[in-house]
Amino acid sequence: MSGNADSRIRASAAVLLFAFLLAASGCGDLGKAELTRGVESLSALAAQGQLVASGVARDATKSTYARVMSKTLGEEAEHEAEKLADATPQAGTEEERDAAVAIAGEISQLLSELQTYPGDENHGSLVQGHLEEAQEKAEALSARLNGEKA
Amino acid sequence: MPASTGKRREGGSDEGGAAMKAILKIALGIIAAIGGFLDIGDLVFTTQAGALFRYDLLWAVVLGVFGIGVYAEMSGRVAAVSGRPVFDVIRMRMGFGVGLLALVASTLVNILTVAAELGGIAIVLELLFDAPYSMFVFSGAIALVAIVALLPFGGIERFFGYGGLLLFVVVAAVVHQDPDWGDVARGLVPSLSSSTLYLYFVVGVFAAALMPYEVHFYSSGAIEEGWTEENLKENRLNAILGYGIGGILSVALVVASGYLFHPLGVEPNDLGTVALPMQGAFGETGLLLALGGMLFCVGGSAVDSSFAASYNLAQFLGWEWGRYQGPGKAPRFTASWLVFLLVGIAIAESGINPVEITEYSVVFSVVALPLTYLPVLLIAGDRSFMAEFANGRIATVLGWLYFVVIVVLALAAIPLLLATNAGGG
Repeated sequence: MSGNADSRIRASAAVLLFAFLLAASGCGDLGKAELTRGVESLSALAAQGQLVASGVARDATKSTYARVMSKTLGEEAEHEAEKLADATPQAGTEEERDAAVAIAGEISQLLSELQTYPGDENHGSLVQGHLEEAQEKAEALSARLNGEKA
Repeated sequence: MPASTGKRREGGSDEGGAAMKAILKIALGIIAAIGGFLDIGDLVFTTQAGALFRYDLLWAVVLGVFGIGVYAEMSGRVAAVSGRPVFDVIRMRMGFGVGLLALVASTLVNILTVAAELGGIAIVLELLFDAPYSMFVFSGAIALVAIVALLPFGGIERFFGYGGLLLFVVVAAVVHQDPDWGDVARGLVPSLSSSTLYLYFVVGVFAAALMPYEVHFYSSGAIEEGWTEENLKENRLNAILGYGIGGILSVALVVASGYLFHPLGVEPNDLGTVALPMQGAFGETGLLLALGGMLFCVGGSAVDSSFAASYNLAQFLGWEWGRYQGPGKAPRFTASWLVFLLVGIAIAESGINPVEITEYSVVFSVVALPLTYLPVLLIAGDRSFMAEFANGRIATVLGWLYFVVIVVLALAAIPLLLATNAGGG
């Protein structure tokens, strides 16, 4: 193999490695579509959290189930928040990105509260209501990103 | 799953009693097949399909369930008539090279499936007892080894099969939800969409019903239980009624999920979410029944898929095999089963989400489907081999129609997996 070919292969490998690391670190550009998808995921997490909280509020669940589900969903919200916060938003969507990070943080915090009090009906009811508000915010943000009137 | 012994009592002073016993055995076998029908792949894909597309994918679920019924019947018939299980038939009919390819492909899929099912057991136990996941992967596997060591083959099937019947709470939840039955019925009419995500889920729910380990286990199980030509009626009833009625559970999962999750925009990415509709309908009792049923289903599937991996290897290499022989008479078979279980534990303990493992194992299994089902179809239709027990006209037409569908889906599976980011959109 010639020296030229060798260096081309090395360069290609370096580019691929860089692209892989960039993708793995989640520090790439955050396009509008990806941001919208992230906000929709947050809305889905909030909806699922409401169902779990509703079980707690109605004393219609098992506390171990509510605790583990809240923990899992909370971790997913936190992961989404980190992913959105680490990425560079597309120009003109910085405000929406920040709003999405805030919603993710709010959902994560509410689920953490549910995780702490999985047998408390009052907490369940409060968390359910706040998660509903968080979902409404996420849906409004998603509509704004899609160019719809909220 | 075949669930009763093929040994018949000779003569008969009490022919009425013997007939009654035979009917009871068949009924118990069918019940075990119903309860043991669902695995983690069915639980995940059907629930996600309902949440994303409401009732639109019901037709694909029914298509898959009918397909596994058709091929399970054929593989059970071949095993009962010839005494040869599916993997023996693959090697005999397709030769060493293709047999080896099928062995490698199915073993990889089986290992992923074992890992996913063990992960599923750990998740359900975690939801019930709130202790670390990794502890439950290991203790769940130990419990499986103990059950397999203590119970006879038929007992293992019945233990998990009957326990899986707890999942009929899903059917009760659907009745309680009282969805628009007209909408549900419209979902049974096949429809296609240009959405790649929709097509990905068509492949997913179809493949989840037709996982290759199911026929590997079914046909080997028939030989474990000493089936002969006398058991063909039992085979047909087990395959058609058992899988068919078991399919009702899959349909119910789609409807329950579509009714509750679709309007709310919930994306069920966790196994625990599967139980939420039952909690919504019946509170804590519904939740516990659902989690209990899921535990038996994934536990049974962990046994089935790990046994299938060992059956395939032993049958391909010509080792002594079979649970009925005991570890002393089939040591390599037993050792390979433990190795597959250990590899499954290692993957499940690696921290990869079992639901993701499930999605990959189901989609990759589609690629291995033609290698599993073509030999079954060819041998079951071969009159020189099966004589009067060869496929009739209906079985031949259905078999080939399904095979065409399987090939199309096998070609589409990987591109769809990549295009949809494994269903992530």
